[in-house]
Amino acid sequence: MILLIILLIPLITAVFLLFLKDKAWVRSIALAATLLNLLLTLYLIFYSPQTEITFSAVNNMGINFSFGYDGISLIMLLLCNLLFPFIILTGFKQEQKQVPLLNFLILFAQSALIGVFLAKNAFLFYIFWELALIPVYFILLLWGGEGRARITLKFFIYTLSGSLFLLFGIIFLYQLTPGMHSTDFSVFNQLQLPAHTQIYLFWILFIAFAIKMPVFPFHTWQPETYTMASTQGVMILAGVMTKMGIYGALRFLFPVVPLGVQYWQNFVVILCLIGVIYASIIAFRQTNFKKLIAFSSMAHISLMTAAMFVLNYYALQGMLFQVISHGVVIVALFYMVYLTEKKTATLELNGMGGLKLVAPNMAILMLIIMLASIALPLTSGFIGEFLMISGLFQQSIWFAVFGGLAMIFSAVYMLYAYQKVMLGDKNKLMENIKDLQFIDYMILIPLIMIILILGIYPNTILNLPDLDVRSMLNHISQINEIVKGF
Amino acid sequence: MVEQIPYINLAFFIPTFPLLGFLITGLFYKRLKHNQAGIIASIMITLSFLFTVILYFILKSSDKQAATVTLFDWISIGNMKIPFAFLIDHLSLTMMMIITGVGTLIHIYSIGYMRGDERVNSFFSQMNLFTFSMLLLVMGANYLILFIGWEGVGLCSYLLIGFWFKNPVYNYAARKAFVMNRIGDLGFILGIILIFFTFKSLSFSEVFSQAAALQIGMPVITLITILLLVGAVGKSAQIPLFTWLPDAMAGPTPVSALIHAATMVTAGIYMIARSGILYNLAPITLQIIIILGLSTAILAAIIGLKQNDIKKVLAYSTVSQLGYMFLALGLGAYSTAVFHVTTHAFFKALLFLGAGSIIHAMGGEQDIRKMGGLRKKMPLTYITFLAATLAISGLPPFSGFFSKDMILNKAFEHNILLYIIALFGALLTCFYMFRLLYLVFYGKQRIATVRPHESPKVMTYPLIILAILSVFGGFLNIPALFNGNSNFLNYLQTAVSVKITEEISHTTEIILIFISLIFLSLVILFAYRIYVKKSTLPEEDGASMSVITRIIYRKFYIDEIYCTIIEKPYALLSGFFYNTIESAILNPIIDGIGNTTYWLGNMTRKLQKGNISFYLFAMVAGILLFIFFILII
Repeated sequence: MILLIILLIPLITAVFLLFLKDKAWVRSIALAATLLNLLLTLYLIFYSPQTEITFSAVNNMGINFSFGYDGISLIMLLLCNLLFPFIILTGFKQEQKQVPLLNFLILFAQSALIGVFLAKNAFLFYIFWELALIPVYFILLLWGGEGRARITLKFFIYTLSGSLFLLFGIIFLYQLTPGMHSTDFSVFNQLQLPAHTQIYLFWILFIAFAIKMPVFPFHTWQPETYTMASTQGVMILAGVMTKMGIYGALRFLFPVVPLGVQYWQNFVVILCLIGVIYASIIAFRQTNFKKLIAFSSMAHISLMTAAMFVLNYYALQGMLFQVISHGVVIVALFYMVYLTEKKTATLELNGMGGLKLVAPNMAILMLIIMLASIALPLTSGFIGEFLMISGLFQQSIWFAVFGGLAMIFSAVYMLYAYQKVMLGDKNKLMENIKDLQFIDYMILIPLIMIILILGIYPNTILNLPDLDVRSMLNHISQINEIVKGF
Repeated sequence: MVEQIPYINLAFFIPTFPLLGFLITGLFYKRLKHNQAGIIASIMITLSFLFTVILYFILKSSDKQAATVTLFDWISIGNMKIPFAFLIDHLSLTMMMIITGVGTLIHIYSIGYMRGDERVNSFFSQMNLFTFSMLLLVMGANYLILFIGWEGVGLCSYLLIGFWFKNPVYNYAARKAFVMNRIGDLGFILGIILIFFTFKSLSFSEVFSQAAALQIGMPVITLITILLLVGAVGKSAQIPLFTWLPDAMAGPTPVSALIHAATMVTAGIYMIARSGILYNLAPITLQIIIILGLSTAILAAIIGLKQNDIKKVLAYSTVSQLGYMFLALGLGAYSTAVFHVTTHAFFKALLFLGAGSIIHAMGGEQDIRKMGGLRKKMPLTYITFLAATLAISGLPPFSGFFSKDMILNKAFEHNILLYIIALFGALLTCFYMFRLLYLVFYGKQRIATVRPHESPKVMTYPLIILAILSVFGGFLNIPALFNGNSNFLNYLQTAVSVKITEEISHTTEIILIFISLIFLSLVILFAYRIYVKKSTLPEEDGASMSVITRIIYRKFYIDEIYCTIIEKPYALLSGFFYNTIESAILNPIIDGIGNTTYWLGNMTRKLQKGNISFYLFAMVAGILLFIFFILII
């Protein structure tokens, strides 16, 4: 039941918000709902011993309305419910139009995302997958910045066309299921498709995820979209929606087409590592602060994808830890971008500088967040990156070297951005600027606390997906042996 | 459960004090009045020092040589169990003594030096954070805790180099230091990962006990040692990653003394000495270390000959001395290297603090061509600076003599050519140091506008203590030649592995000492003739310099070379990726697909205009085509 409650709280609150007028009330209620959801999630993680709850209503199409979770879903659920309170809070002191509608869309997106992470049925997964796109589309379209109509359309068409492949794949798998057809993941996982089918089916399924993450060279929608999006929009996109791609790959690719995964493994890893280096290098010369952060996010996600595809324990564990860490860090970073723009009325790095003189506290907090992003030990970023690079190393030292280059490059562009924004002498732009306000501390301090707690005591969540990662790897190696046996 | 030494858990407090100091001065930096932050920070590090001394006696009174203090499980996943634990043994205690001891003096000195700076509170906060990280680095019981400290000190170095952040040049220097260190860190972390996969553990005791059973020359061990070496090269500023250290002089002078002379830059030496067992298994890596160390020592010493900024001279001297330590490491004389780390910490910290005192007195002037005649004006600074100069030049019985002499002896045992080159470097060291001393303190004051004065007591007392240490520090380890019993090396023996080499006879040793003494005296006299008798001044910047002088003065153009072959191509590549691949290839392709769909849609739309005759035509054409196909196939 608790799962259903977690799924429905945002949705019901969202609808309720539409009938309210007062901005402050709308925001407070939305915040309360997301906080409640976070508490329930934490309860689920730390006190509920069950790992599998299924709520199902069978219909004659074989499409089960069933939800459940394992360690991997829990990580995603935690990420989603952890970030949304901050996303709502970000709107608190902003001048915004149509506040009820905006918060309705945000909460609606949250529900849909939760649905994606909890669905135990491929068709249901697909419905939520598409459902999540709609509110985000409107958030981008209505509250976005310059060029939003064109960019949003491109984003929408791009991701949607990727999803069509996924739908095709699901239908294809559905008609292969034995007896009474079904789209349950559990049934899909039992399919043992011939190797050559898996090899092309891999791409049909992967395209949608690759676009969402995004993996090089499917990323071209991302920098523009991030740059144009409102702060809350980009937080949802970068913090949570990119992880949908990762989660989808874990749910679909690894259990269903393990041979395809193994066939394409090195190709995809190399593609991702190219993405890491490509995005890191590009980030260095960006003159727009937000775009720089957008490319940095792409670099980090690419490293996570690379780690996912080397298919070993440390890499997968590190990647799942990084899911949370990256989400928290990127939300904090985009909040910093928002603050910078609010205070200086620009995002052009070349005109900025000297903000530290007038806003020293903001400078300190920004530095901490950036250090987490470049994986300094004792921040959460380090744990994930260390484990991922270890996993890459297990596959090949060269993978580790190229993945590790991100460590150097990220230091290059992050400290460059920090210097451009914060350091330097007095600047005309920086007159009459105040340091952080109460609301800023309310958002940044908890985020930083999470970063530090996870960095100092990662065991709080590190072992959540332990069993599931092991069983997934077992499943793959078993299938491998069966095939070899033939 | 191994029986624990009573009270050994006090070790926990040693890094905690500076961490507390960092938090207090950091969180309340706006509320603390002048000097308060300095006093808090100094008290914290003094407490650390006292606890280190207590810990020393605790360990001494027990029958054990090492103890592990575990706090909690840091990373525990699969087979990877990495506890947050400290290793207290003779090596880490030695390093802790240096860090907290010299650190305390520098903190106290800074109260005077930084007085009046508007961000003095942040300064002390960062200094305490540095001390904390450095203590983690040397106390960590496994490679990953060491790595926390390793990156932590890098961060503090970045912060403190760019402490005066209004100046873009300083900010650039800070970034350069951090990035160059990160290049090394990548090697280091890959080495750590390889250690984990090889030994299934990262804790020193576990790894070294397994390594003891391995054969010499295994490729995986060689790879591990090379990767670790990359890290050490970055942190300890060796060729090719040394150019950040001279630029790091942008930071306040106490920072240069603490971080860029006495402690952080020796982290690489500590790490290799700690991993001595692994390095003994990899003779190839040891050869590489010898070559790197010796060439760095010579190159930096040559550059030091022509520098005119007092801190730059000292910076190149540090690089050069670090090269000597690397040489010792490469010769397998790990404890000798640590001994040189110790004496170097004394005299180099003293030199920097003395330089700070001079700069303070000269109103911020750092160019030695504009100084001169300070001997009378600043007697205390002069005496202490002289002691340090004699120590670094390796004149007996000053501390540098003992450590440097041991390194030279080791080089002689290995290969006479090594000895000659190393001795040549030592003579260069002696020359540039006396050049510095003579130009600053002798002759006449060359700028009349400033009125130099002796620094306040809070600054001179640390100088005096360091001077005493620089003079007598060598007696920690009196070699057998002088009827001593090498206390320091024996103390380290339990923690640092030893590579057994043939010892040279006492007669040879005496001859070598005499040779170097004769040459050193000649060099000092030579410098005296040039800079005091003839009172020659170094050339002015610009065209008047001879070609060789200019090449040396411009540091062999290494910065420019790096800029041309790394920085500029990197920026160009970035532009190329963004402007060409991203904007001119990938984006148009995707947009092209979109536009094609749009165009197709448009075309098909035109087909459906309601023109009945066209529909009929299309229908008939379709049927004909269909029949045509069936007939053919």
